[in-house]
Amino acid sequence: MPKKLRFAIGAGLIIGAIGYLIVTAVRNTAEYYLTVNEVKARQPELSGQMLRVAGRVKAANIAWNPETLTLAFDMVPPPPVDDTGAVVKTVAATVDPPEFHVICRGQPKPDMFAPNRDVIVEGRLAANGTIEARQVLTSCPSKYIPKQPK
Amino acid sequence: MPLIGQLALALALILAFYSIVANVLGARRSIPVLVASARHAVWATCAMVTIAVLALWTSLLKSDFSLEYVASYTSSTLPTVYKMTALWGGQQGSLLLWTWLLTIFTAIVAFQNRRRNPEIAPYALAVLAGLAIFFLGMLNFVTRPFDMLATIPADGQDLNPLLQNYWMAIHPPSLYTGYVSASVPFAFGAAALITGSLDDTWIRSTRRWAIFSWFFLTLGNLFGARWAYEVLGWGGYWAWDPVENAAFMPWLVMTAYLHSVMIQERKDMLKVWNLALIGMAFGLTLFGTFITRSGVISSVHSFTQSGLGPYFLSFLITAAVLYTGLLLFRVKSLRTPAEFESYLSREAAFLFNNLVLVGIAFAVFWGTLFPVLSEAVRGVKITVGPPFFDKVNAPLALALVFLMGVGPLIAWRRSSLDTVAKTFAAPVIFGAVTGICAFIAGLREWYVLTALSLGAFALGTVFVEFRRGVSARRHMVSENPARAFVNLVAKNNRRYGGYIIHIGVVMAFVGIVASSFFKTEVKKSLKEGESFQVGSYELEFLGLSQNETSHLETISARLELLRDGKPIVLMQPAKLFYKRPQQPATSVAIRSTPAADLYVVLAGIDDATGLTTFQVFLTPLVFWLWAGGLIMALGTVVAMWPNVRERAAIAAAVRLPATVDIGAETVPGGD
Repeated sequence: MPKKLRFAIGAGLIIGAIGYLIVTAVRNTAEYYLTVNEVKARQPELSGQMLRVAGRVKAANIAWNPETLTLAFDMVPPPPVDDTGAVVKTVAATVDPPEFHVICRGQPKPDMFAPNRDVIVEGRLAANGTIEARQVLTSCPSKYIPKQPK
Repeated sequence: MPLIGQLALALALILAFYSIVANVLGARRSIPVLVASARHAVWATCAMVTIAVLALWTSLLKSDFSLEYVASYTSSTLPTVYKMTALWGGQQGSLLLWTWLLTIFTAIVAFQNRRRNPEIAPYALAVLAGLAIFFLGMLNFVTRPFDMLATIPADGQDLNPLLQNYWMAIHPPSLYTGYVSASVPFAFGAAALITGSLDDTWIRSTRRWAIFSWFFLTLGNLFGARWAYEVLGWGGYWAWDPVENAAFMPWLVMTAYLHSVMIQERKDMLKVWNLALIGMAFGLTLFGTFITRSGVISSVHSFTQSGLGPYFLSFLITAAVLYTGLLLFRVKSLRTPAEFESYLSREAAFLFNNLVLVGIAFAVFWGTLFPVLSEAVRGVKITVGPPFFDKVNAPLALALVFLMGVGPLIAWRRSSLDTVAKTFAAPVIFGAVTGICAFIAGLREWYVLTALSLGAFALGTVFVEFRRGVSARRHMVSENPARAFVNLVAKNNRRYGGYIIHIGVVMAFVGIVASSFFKTEVKKSLKEGESFQVGSYELEFLGLSQNETSHLETISARLELLRDGKPIVLMQPAKLFYKRPQQPATSVAIRSTPAADLYVVLAGIDDATGLTTFQVFLTPLVFWLWAGGLIMALGTVVAMWPNVRERAAIAAAVRLPATVDIGAETVPGGD
């Protein structure tokens, strides 16, 4: 066998192995990254799946039990914004905004967790529509973005 | 001040344009005066950007809140040192720092090559100036550091509390130094492609730059990990966040490059591959800035999102297309008759090491971009998190450590099975014994056992190499062992510096494996006076204390750490409440020993119940990651150290008339 071919086979095997590792790892670890609205729209098919859901903490109904380290809150879509970052006021809300109840057990409350903060919840969507979170991540508050004074 | 800075940036842009024109014209038409003039323009560009940086620093220190940048990233109560580091706390300043480093390095390159490399140096300088033009264009027109505010605020919005940390003072400059210095070998590679001087002059002229870049990429990644460990308060140091990946990928590709250029220097092979690698490394440094600044990929600790994305992407694509085009155009002249002869050769070990390193870089790239790709192709955003990166990279890391053990000992060209068996007997036995001992000690995870054995094997080969060298010197020049060791390293610093780096890599690898596999986490809410158990330690919660300054409020907990009932140390994790951004931050308490780190987080204080929540991590061997990192840095310094032989070669090369081809001995740049 020519040497070139022999090395091409060896290199090919390594590249193939790396490719295989990537493909199987993607299959086993991929999670949907969705917004609250998207989860609502596809709730039946997502039931039982691992998800990452981006949304906002509803101001009412936050419960934190430091003894059991259980955090429960409702998650709603962030209000729609226009290009400048200003909240668009919808004339009349015809339908209730979708919301999900989130329960996170055994984790300390994140430092920046607060009502109306944007969060990313990682967890499983239970059949009853509750998200059992493994982790609640707070996004950096947007106020660090310097705003152009008009 | 702001006006001076703005003006300096505008002048720098014009000077950079001029230096390209003068360099290219001067080199094409062989007009030395023009090339010299271009060199002066390069120095002047550097001077202008330096003035801009000093202007911004002055404004930051004076807290001139009429400047938007100063008002956005500092406040009057911010400690002075963080007013200085706020230079890279925001986007405009970061780009300014980048540009500053770039023009400094370009100026040094111009100085180093004032009498050498007349063929390719002008083109390399032109490429670097092209890069500077892009950044200066951004600074002049898109994201301007010297923009003024219409109304001057009473105080600034302050620096992000997470960045008010000493690691953040040194992490970004280290990483940027690594990023930016990678453009020097890239520019020489591009210049070689443009001019068609395709021998290894471009590699030799920038060898030290490449090591320099690798050194700072290593430190940058390490400091970043250490910052995450101390500041983010989750007990880990690496989360495969896009921002981290962006810093890790160029490091991987540079590592591959540093190894494969040895094959080109020695065997005149892999020319196309080396040019491709340096192109990739350079592209990834830009890509890193692109993904962290564009908001294309969401990161939990993301930076300011801004309109920079499209510009960076267009520039990146343009550079990639041009470079790939050049490479394809020259590909015929880059072919070499030499080929790989045997799997049992150092070339083969290096080739596979390259494949694995680039494979890891690709896997990281793929995982980082996966959300964007899946959204584009399937219309759904699918993310892969840390489990993906762990799964893919764990086996590849093993392969890499194995190859790291094979590389130093195996002969160039080809070895016979017999010699291989003889050379590797000792390291293989050492590796196996380590694995067996670990098994007897009670370890059962196959991955950890393999990792320890391979790590020991790689250490063993380095040890054999050192022993061989020392005993050869002892026989030839009859020196005592210590002296022979010192001389060995001093006379072959590039090689033995590399081996020292290998030792550091093994240490860090063992630290990473052990700390990922055997982490214990305890979460506990308790009242004052109560205590709890973590491993063999006991923590007694003594109480809380409060401290307030004009800048921040601190609530710290006092915990007595006990072992077997005996007090060891007082640990004081704290919560910090910064006044201006109204954001809490965590200050962890860490007790680090070579065996394990005890890491205590004050996770929450509940006023209603009077309970204080602590999160404690007991992480074994994480110490070795930092120690290994330092050894890697030390080894790199050894490898970069200018040695006597090279000095002589430089002197000889300079003395030779310019018409003589001095390619083979051409001087490595960048002392």
